[in-house]
Amino acid sequence: MADGQALLRMEGISKRYGGVHALEDAHLDVHAGRVHAILGENGAGKSTLIKVMSGVVAPDQGRMYLDGREVSFANPAAANRAGIVCIFQELSLIPDLSVADNIIASNPPTRFGLIDRRAQRRLAEEALVKAGGEDIHPRARVGDLPLSRQQIVEIAKALARKPRLLILDEATSALTAADVTRVMAVLKRLRSDGMALLYISHRMHEIAELADECTVFRNGRNVESYEQGAKTDNEVVEMMIGREYRHAFPPKPPRPAEETPPALAVRNLSWTDKLSDISLEVRPGEVVGLGGLDGQGQRDLLLALFGVLRGVTGEIAIDGRPMAIDSPRQAKSADVGMALIPEDRKTEGLMLPMSVLHNLSFAALGRHARFGIIDRQAEATSVDEMIRLLAIRSNGTSIPVSALSGGNQQKVVIAKWLMLSPRIILLNDPTRGIDVGTKQEIYQLLRKLSGEGAAIILYSTDYDELIGCCDRVLVMYDGTIKTELAGDEITEHALISSALNIAPQAGAATGEAGHAPVSAASGSVA
Amino acid sequence: MKQDTATPQAPMLLHLRANLPIVISFACIILLLLLGSLYSENFLSPDYLIQQLKVASFLGVIATGMMLIILMGQIDLSVPWLLTTGAMMASAATAFGPAGEFLAVPFGVFCGFAMGMVSGVGVAYLRIPAMIVTLAMNVIAQGLMVAYTGGFSPSDTASSGMRYLATGNLIGGVPNAILVWIGIGALAVFVLNRTTFGRAVYAIGNRESAAFLSGAATQRLMMFGFGISGALAAFGGVLLAGYAGKAAQSMGDAYLLPSIAAVVLGGTSILGGRGNYLGTVAGVILVTLLQSILSVMQIAEFGRQIIYGLVIVTMLLLYGRERALR
Repeated sequence: MADGQALLRMEGISKRYGGVHALEDAHLDVHAGRVHAILGENGAGKSTLIKVMSGVVAPDQGRMYLDGREVSFANPAAANRAGIVCIFQELSLIPDLSVADNIIASNPPTRFGLIDRRAQRRLAEEALVKAGGEDIHPRARVGDLPLSRQQIVEIAKALARKPRLLILDEATSALTAADVTRVMAVLKRLRSDGMALLYISHRMHEIAELADECTVFRNGRNVESYEQGAKTDNEVVEMMIGREYRHAFPPKPPRPAEETPPALAVRNLSWTDKLSDISLEVRPGEVVGLGGLDGQGQRDLLLALFGVLRGVTGEIAIDGRPMAIDSPRQAKSADVGMALIPEDRKTEGLMLPMSVLHNLSFAALGRHARFGIIDRQAEATSVDEMIRLLAIRSNGTSIPVSALSGGNQQKVVIAKWLMLSPRIILLNDPTRGIDVGTKQEIYQLLRKLSGEGAAIILYSTDYDELIGCCDRVLVMYDGTIKTELAGDEITEHALISSALNIAPQAGAATGEAGHAPVSAASGSVA
Repeated sequence: MKQDTATPQAPMLLHLRANLPIVISFACIILLLLLGSLYSENFLSPDYLIQQLKVASFLGVIATGMMLIILMGQIDLSVPWLLTTGAMMASAATAFGPAGEFLAVPFGVFCGFAMGMVSGVGVAYLRIPAMIVTLAMNVIAQGLMVAYTGGFSPSDTASSGMRYLATGNLIGGVPNAILVWIGIGALAVFVLNRTTFGRAVYAIGNRESAAFLSGAATQRLMMFGFGISGALAAFGGVLLAGYAGKAAQSMGDAYLLPSIAAVVLGGTSILGGRGNYLGTVAGVILVTLLQSILSVMQIAEFGRQIIYGLVIVTMLLLYGRERALR
């Protein structure tokens, strides 16, 4: 089947964001009646590829052919008209509207300029049947449906646009194993109806079950395309890693002795269905990484430790003393001495319009005040000290922090917490979107702080960073810690295979109860 | 990418741009005065100006509380009836002998504070939008006051202390009301610029999530913000009752829009986080002068209201556009 003309062909597609090549000379052939899977690490260019295909962004270079005719899409609506429809990772449904309203949201049938309710409902029912959601009532409110049913509605919504190429970007990541099985059945039927499907997932076993053909991307470039089954899981992982430029990391000192009492000890921590039964210990002087694919509960874990989340169960002990941390205010108190460098510096770390000075001193303001009155001299002195210590490049301290570069903004976020001399430092992907030079300064700083006795937990989406910075890495999968890697075990290969929850060596197929039906296939692709 | 290419602007320029609304407000004040003087020379006489400042000081006290709430990114719509509550409760206390006379002012203010705190609990802890909570509180206060005045005939005469605060002259020809506003204004400037509370107010208004994750007690601070706003509205009511000699049911109605308008005309961002007290001073004077001039011009009441509304919308439009350009 793959020999015929491609339904969609992309050639030499390049896209740059600032100085970063999101895609470089990428190419792809998608054929009708086949499922084409795209694999790659976070940031490999998969999302950009889809955005180009579905008209969300315009490529800087390259050509696209549909049925052999060159096309270019000015916007997503144009791509829709050409038969290319994308289902994104996040649901795009409006919870307060009915199922039918959602499915026919973009282009409702009209009579005399008004929405024709009856025709709308008929169309919605047809789409639901095609999507395997016969049991969903078109008039039900979407917000009342369970998440898995909502995903079916999302698929129905896409099908109502009569696609010839359906793109699914991590569309199953929110689903349970049973629902995945149902969605798989639907997708297989669509394939046999002659639709082309482009399937993006981090779940290797789903790809093994569904895909006909796979393409691996790395750093915005094609690595290889192959027929599904032609490569072993390990080979696929090798292709995803590649051999790339590595950052300069400071040397790791010998790890603290096992008997050093932990600064932070967590027992059986759980939170709703996002975190389950997490236990970990971090000793003073140790940098512990959190690994795994994006969105496996790493962020929630850091927020839970910092007292942000409600309804967290389990025990947390600080320096051996049990402690119930129920707010960031308590987490930063002298009893606990915790700091969190949040994920998004623009909304969680900084008050962007406020001055550099006021941002820097905000967390530690209590230290520079008596009876609530700020000692401005003391405030300015310690802010200057921090600016020197972290080499923050700022044109004075009275300019808004939004005027600084991304890297310097991140330094401000870190510095404002260092003013409190925390003993436990949680970092949520602190180097995302900042330049290489600043990254290296942050690595050096982390080592320096741990050398001074801080206990550090570092979540990073960059595997190089986990390898270069961490003494131990806890790899998370589906809200729990699946694997612990220490010392020389922390390799890119080990990180990726444990992140994908496949076992490079035999004997690790235990503890997969939550993903029963399809996970039997995991690790057995070869 | 925009913030990555840090454009080092001269701090002076930033300063001017941030203070542009204040400059405009003061320019408008001068313009209004000149316009008024075309109608009557009295407009530039010291007596008239002092009188205007005195009238402005009631609004100034109320707008101070409103500014605090707007800086936090919230709104307080309970001003009219918390103001009336303050006036009525203070007057009522006057009837209870010398102790009542002595405690009249603090009691009136405390009533406003307590009701403001209830709104604060609703906004900060129960997470109900401030617009709803304070509107409800306004109606509740109205109900309470109607019930209170309906059953029997309470004292509604202002105490001599209240009258002295509003109409007396401690220093030469300067009315006490102006001194009260200066005192409260100075306190507001100090709190906003020099205390951890003030810094947190700006932080919450700019980005509540960041302030919370920095360990600020955002909920408690916001609750107290509403308490303070309620207290200042009630204090404004106490002063107005002292000025008029008695409390009346509809006395607060005329203060909701002017208090919000004064704050926003003075350059405080309606979205919170940005603003400076000098601007509120300018806004208060501007609003007061505008009202006065419209009445001096002897424009009919309906025309006055239309012009007043149009002027406020026009000025907000000017500032809004300026902000959108950044």
